[in-house]
Amino acid sequence: MNILYGLLSPSAGTVKIKGEEVVLRSPEDAIDRGVGMVHQHFKLIQPLTVTENIMMGYESPGRGHNRYAVAVTLLVLVFSVSLFLLFLGSIPALIASVALVLVIIAAYKSYEIMNYIVEKLYPHTSRGGVRGFVARFLYSISMTFRYFIMNFVPLGIHEAAEKIKRIADENGLAIDPNARILDISVGLQQRVEIIKALYREAEILILDEPTSVLTPQEVDELFATLEKFKDSGKTIILITHKLREPMALCDRISVLRDGELVGTVNRVDTSPEELAQMMVGRPVVFRVQKGPATPGDVVLDVQDISAKDVRGLPAVKGVTFQVRAGEIFGLAGVEGNGQTELVEVLTGLLKSDHGNIYVKGRNVTGKGPRTMREAGIGHIPEDRHKRGLILPFTIEENLALGNHYRPPYSSKKAGIPGFLNLNTIQKNAEKLVHDFSIKVGRVTDTADTLSGGNQQKAVVARELSSEPIALVAAQPTRGLDVGATEYIHNVLISLRDSGVGVLLISAELDEIRNLSDRIGVIFGGRIVAIKDPETTTPQELGLLMAGQTGEVLQ
Amino acid sequence: MIEESTPSMEQTALLTFVDRLMMRLKSKSLHRNILHTFASIVLALGTAAIIMLATGYDPLQAFSALFLGAILNFDQVLWRATPLLLAGLSVALAFKCGLFNIGAEGQLYMGSLAATAVGYMIALPIVVHQLACLVVGVGVGFLYALLPGVLRAYRGAHEVVTTMMLSYAAVFFTQWMVSQGPMHNPGDWRSISPIIFDSAQIPKILGSAFLNWGFIIAVLFVVVVDFFINKTVMGYEMRAVGSNEDAARTAGIDAKRNMAIALGLSGALAGLAGAVEVQGYYHRFYDQWSGGLGFDGITVAVLGRNNPWGVLGGAIFFGALKAGGLFMQTSAEVPSEMVQVIQGLVVLFVAAPRLIDWFSNHGVAYARWIKDRPLFGFLSLIALSYGVFGAFMGILVAGPYVSSNFSLLLLGFVTSIGGLVVAIFHFQRDERRTRATWMVALLWALMLVSGLSMAAASVVSVALTLAGVGFVISILLMRLQPKSDELKEAA
Repeated sequence: MNILYGLLSPSAGTVKIKGEEVVLRSPEDAIDRGVGMVHQHFKLIQPLTVTENIMMGYESPGRGHNRYAVAVTLLVLVFSVSLFLLFLGSIPALIASVALVLVIIAAYKSYEIMNYIVEKLYPHTSRGGVRGFVARFLYSISMTFRYFIMNFVPLGIHEAAEKIKRIADENGLAIDPNARILDISVGLQQRVEIIKALYREAEILILDEPTSVLTPQEVDELFATLEKFKDSGKTIILITHKLREPMALCDRISVLRDGELVGTVNRVDTSPEELAQMMVGRPVVFRVQKGPATPGDVVLDVQDISAKDVRGLPAVKGVTFQVRAGEIFGLAGVEGNGQTELVEVLTGLLKSDHGNIYVKGRNVTGKGPRTMREAGIGHIPEDRHKRGLILPFTIEENLALGNHYRPPYSSKKAGIPGFLNLNTIQKNAEKLVHDFSIKVGRVTDTADTLSGGNQQKAVVARELSSEPIALVAAQPTRGLDVGATEYIHNVLISLRDSGVGVLLISAELDEIRNLSDRIGVIFGGRIVAIKDPETTTPQELGLLMAGQTGEVLQ
Repeated sequence: MIEESTPSMEQTALLTFVDRLMMRLKSKSLHRNILHTFASIVLALGTAAIIMLATGYDPLQAFSALFLGAILNFDQVLWRATPLLLAGLSVALAFKCGLFNIGAEGQLYMGSLAATAVGYMIALPIVVHQLACLVVGVGVGFLYALLPGVLRAYRGAHEVVTTMMLSYAAVFFTQWMVSQGPMHNPGDWRSISPIIFDSAQIPKILGSAFLNWGFIIAVLFVVVVDFFINKTVMGYEMRAVGSNEDAARTAGIDAKRNMAIALGLSGALAGLAGAVEVQGYYHRFYDQWSGGLGFDGITVAVLGRNNPWGVLGGAIFFGALKAGGLFMQTSAEVPSEMVQVIQGLVVLFVAAPRLIDWFSNHGVAYARWIKDRPLFGFLSLIALSYGVFGAFMGILVAGPYVSSNFSLLLLGFVTSIGGLVVAIFHFQRDERRTRATWMVALLWALMLVSGLSMAAASVVSVALTLAGVGFVISILLMRLQPKSDELKEAA
C-alpha cells in the first residue's frame, strides 16, 4: 500500500491506475491520480485545527481577503498617506498615494496576474529558436515569482473550511472544522483522515487497519460510510486482519502471507474458515525434534495485567496466565493485539495499571528492567536493532550488556565506581561466540557488521548467559532466514528441556504450533483461548487469532 | 601435551593491554579518521588562503609566520592548549552520553570564581591549598552542570537551551561578583578580584612565563577521561545511553541518572579548566577573562571527534593557531582574527568526509554519463570547469574593492556562487544547467559593465574573457544538446 501511495518505490513490477501504467514518486503523484490513504498511525499534527490539517500540502490562496489582511492594508495606507502629506508637497503626495493604491491593488491581484502571465507564456516555451528561448527565460522567472507570491498570499482557510463542511455533510461525517486535533477523539481523528482523502478528490481510498482504534459503534458508523462511498462509485481497499470486516463489507478479498499473494476470492464464494486457512497456510515445513515436556512449578505467574499503549489507549485488558518450568507457552496473535505492551510490562519497561506478576513466587510487579532481570526474567526483544543491540558498540560489549555492572564483568560487587573487567568480557564473548556459532570477524568488531541472523543469535546468547528462570521471547525469528530460525527453535527447545519456562510470543502460527506445549491466543488485548497443540487445528487457531469466537478467558 | 609455565596474572594483563593498544592503533577506522581530519585541516587552510588572497594578504607569509610563531613560542602553545584541552574533554564526555554541553563557558567561569574565592579567602598550607581550590572549582562546575542535567533527564528540558542560558547567567554573575559584589578588589577601579595567595598558585615549569603544571594536570585528565569512558561501568552505561537509549533502558540501565551525572561530570571538567587557568596564570579573577574558551572547547571536541586523545591533538593544534596568530599579526600584518576564521573553517570542513563521499558517488555516475555521449559530455565538463574557475575569479577579482565599491564586491560574490551552481548543475546533470550557464555569463557581462564604469582594468579584462567564454559555451550547449535531454529541459 505504501507503494500505491508513492511512499515506497517498487524494486520490480508495475502499477496501473485506470489502465494507465504509472510511476509514483511521491504521495503527490498518487494524490494527483486520485489515490487517498488513511494510515494506521494517523499523520495529523496535534496542535493544529482540523481545517489546517486537511489543507496541509494542498493549500490554495484565499479568493476572498480575510479581515486581517484588509485591516493591515488600510492601516498601512493611512499611515503612508499621512507621511506623504507631511513630508512631500500636496501634488507629489497625491501622486505617491495614487501610486501606492495601484501597488496595493496589484499586490492583491498579484496571484491572478502571475497566473495569467504564466499561462500566456507556456505555449511559447516549446518553440525553437530565439523566441522560444526568450519565452523559456521569461517563463522561469514568472514561475519563480508566482511561487514566491503563492507563499505569501493569505491562505484560503475559510474556503477550505466551507469545502470541508460540504464534504462532511454530503457523506454524513459530522466534524467541527475549527476543533483542534488534540481535543477530539481518536474516532473523530480518523474521520479527519478520511475527509483529508476526500478533500483531494480521491477516487481510490486505501484504509490501513482502520478499526483498530475504534469502538464497536464507531466501526459500524465507518462501515456505513464506506458503503455509501461504494455506492457513489469510489474504490475502497481495506487492509485488515479481522475476518469479520471483509465478510461484512467487502466484495472481493485477497489474502497476503509472507509478502506473497495467496489468492483472491469473492466474498459470496468464501467463508471465514477458508480465509483463515489461506492466512495460516499449510502445515509447517520443519518439524522440530522435541521430547515431551515435563513441566514443573509455576515460574511466571501473570495475574490480571492491564496496560495502556503509547497513545494512552488500553492495549492489555486483563491478561492472566502461568508459565511453568520446563514448558514453552506460546502466545499466538496477529501483531498489534497487545503483545508489545504485555512484553514491556513483563520486562519492566512499562507499568501496568493493575494486576500482579510473580517470578517463582516473588512479587515483581511494577519493578524496573534491572530488577526483573535479576529476578530471573530473560528478554529477547522483538526489535533487535532498537531494543536488543547497541549497534555502534563492539560485539563483546553487546554480549556483556545487561550484566555489565555485576561480577565477573565488573570488578566490584556493586556501586557506582565499578571498573569493567575487559578481560572477562572478551573471554566471555569468545565463549558465547563459540557456543552459539555466531559468525564474527573479531569480537572487537562493531555489532553492525553482523548479519541479521547472527545479531539475533548474539541477543539470544547474551540473554541465556544470565541463566534466566523464565524467558520472554518476543517474535524471536522475525526477519531471519530458515537456518537461523531453525537454530533459534532448537535453542528454545533445549532451554525448555533444562527447566526454564519459556513464554514465546509470535505472529507466526507455524512457529507457535511447532514449539509450544500449550498455546494461548491473544486478541484485542485479551487471552481468548488456551489450547493444547495436539488437539487443535491451524484453522481453529486462525479463527481465534482473527477474533472469530465470543469467548474471553478470565 | 607439554605444559609451559603459565604466565602470571600481571604478565597476562600487560600483554592484553599492549595487544589491545596495537589493535586500536592499527584499526582501519582510526586511519580513516586521521586522514579525514588531516584533509579537513588542509581544506580549511586552503580556503583561508583564498580569502587572504582576495583581501590582499599574502597567505604564504601568513602561514609561515603562523608556523614559526607556534614553534618559537611552544611553551605558549601548550599553555593555551590547557584550558582548550579540558573544555574539549568536557564537551566530548557529554557527547558520549548523547548530550550537547554548550554551556562549558559558564561552568568554566563558575569553577574559576569558586577557585579564586578559596584562593584568597582562606589560608591553607602549600599543597593542600592548591588542591582545595581545584577541588572546589571542580565541584562548583559539577553542580552548575548537574542542574541542567537533572532538568534534561527528568523533565526533558533540552540541555542546549539550559546550558546556554546558564552560561550567560554565569558570565554576568561573576562579573557582578568582581565589580560590585563581595569579591571585588577593594579600592581597585578594575573589575577584578584580589590576588590569590601564593600557596594557591600553581607553579610554572621550565622557566616559562606561561606554561605551568596545569598542562600536566590536563594531560593527566586525558588519561582519566579515557579510562572512565572505556573501562568503568558508568562510562559504559553512559556510552550505551548515548548510542541507543532504548536498548540501554531495555538492558536495565537507568538512562536518566546516567544523563544527569554525565552532564555534571562534563561541568566538572569545565570547572577544572577555569580553576587551572586562574591558579596557573591569572592568579585572580578578571572580569570575562575567558573570551570564549568554553566555546572553543566545542570546536576542539569536534575536531578530536570526541575521543580524548583526539581532543589532545585538537587542543594543541588550536593552541598553536592562537600562539602563532599573534606572531602572524606582528610579522606578516595579517589580523589575528584570521585565526578565528581558520578555526571556523576547520569545523566546517570536519564535515568534509561526507563531501568527499558525495563527490565520489556522483563522480562515478557523471563519468559514465560523459562516456555515453562523448561530445556533449566533454562540453559539459568544460562548462563545469568554467563554473569552478568563475567561482574563484569572482571573489578574487572583486575582493580588492571591499572598501571602495561594495556593490561590486556583492556582484562578484553572487557571480561566484553562480559559478558554483553551474558546476554543481553540470555535475548532477540537472536540467537547468544550460540556463544557469548563460545566466552566469550574463552576470559576468554585468561585471564587465561595472568594471568599465569604474575603469578598473583587472575587472574589465577578466569579466570580458569570462563573459565571452560563457556565452560561447552556452550557445554550444544549446546547439549540441541531444534530443532526449531537450524534452526534460522544456519543463
